[in-house]
Amino acid sequence: MKILIADDEALSRRLLEKTLERVGYEVISVENGKQALDELCKPGGPRLALLDWIMPELDGPAVCRAVRTRPEQAYVYMVLLTSKGSKEETVLGLESGADDYLTKPFNAEELRARLRVGERILRLEDRLVEARENMRFRATHDPLTSLLNRGAIMDLLARELHRSRREEKTTLILLGDIDHFKRVNDTFGHVVGDEVLVETANRLLSAVRSYDFVGRYGGEEFLVVLNNCDPAFARTRAEEIRKCISSREIRTAKGPLTLTMSFGVLLSSEWALKTIEELLHEVDIALYDAKAAGRDCLRVSKPTTQPGPTPDSLPHTMRLAH
Amino acid sequence: MDNCEQGLSEPIWNLAELLERVDHDQELLRDLLNIFKEDFPRTIRSLESAVAAKDLKTCARLGHTLKGMLASLGATRAAAAAASLDLVASSGETASLKESLDTLQREAASLLPELDAYMAEVRR
Repeated sequence: MKILIADDEALSRRLLEKTLERVGYEVISVENGKQALDELCKPGGPRLALLDWIMPELDGPAVCRAVRTRPEQAYVYMVLLTSKGSKEETVLGLESGADDYLTKPFNAEELRARLRVGERILRLEDRLVEARENMRFRATHDPLTSLLNRGAIMDLLARELHRSRREEKTTLILLGDIDHFKRVNDTFGHVVGDEVLVETANRLLSAVRSYDFVGRYGGEEFLVVLNNCDPAFARTRAEEIRKCISSREIRTAKGPLTLTMSFGVLLSSEWALKTIEELLHEVDIALYDAKAAGRDCLRVSKPTTQPGPTPDSLPHTMRLAH
Repeated sequence: MDNCEQGLSEPIWNLAELLERVDHDQELLRDLLNIFKEDFPRTIRSLESAVAAKDLKTCARLGHTLKGMLASLGATRAAAAAASLDLVASSGETASLKESLDTLQREAASLLPELDAYMAEVRR
């Protein structure tokens, strides 16, 4: 485990280094408070620190205060070393954010025992952070497919729409639905249905770039958000994604299945001022139209007020050639 | 070795305590003594200038540094003298500065030969 030693006095520093290296710590030692703060703020920096009280640049309590104001970073367990002994100073040191203090000259056994206390606290923190991250993952992901759940993908879509408007870019929204999924469930059972959902999720994920989003929107409905998409290639991209399902059989416990998906597609730049709910409503209508047109196809949703030719029979959507 | 340790475990230098602190690591002990032999005279010289200039802030800082260095080394009496100088400077008693420095130097004068004797002994 890494530990930081900050002491401007060479003899004490050497003594501390050796005392801690002997029991297996990876020691990083510095001569002043400024260097100490730099080390502690580095990503992956030490999470245990022994700080001399009186140091040039920044003293020990000032380092503690600065470390405690860093937002959202792993906890650092800090022990102040002091040859000061008064109660007032002890209180001042602890109030500055130190976890413990030791009076110099230290006793090696006591020092190591106190650092073990620090390690226990850090392990506890790690467990809490891990538990929180697990909870956060569960709260934002679909347990079956591990895709983003509906709430999470809606949040990300909202953020992405804001950004694409600000930067005058296009976000491509695809709402897809597995065709005749109910038949899969009815014929082969829910286990096979689940296999299909998982494989669909995996294929959609591998069909997009790492910074695009795929979410499970409903039962067999998936929402795909392509960020910063060139409108000229939007339809080609949408078709590629749609075909990632129909192009290959899906292997299941009951044998390979050939399945297709229908998609409603929308380019955010064509709907500049609509809300996210309105956009999702539009893309849902486009999906419905794709289904009505015989499935295994996609429709691009176009605003009715937009100038330009619109097919007579399809006021809201435009059938794509395929 | 036993005789040597006994001869040196006087209050001027608490070798037994220091040996315990370094986990009886002779190499580390030699290391510390070498650092001390280099840093102590330099710090004392700076302190002498600061006392002559009645620079209380620097006196307090150097007194504190010496206190830490001497205490880590187990030089109990010299550490106490440095602590007293730190206190005198911190409380602004300019008049007592010189006297505190003299005390510290007297303690150092009895400490240094002990350290040298020990280093000569272990080198032998």
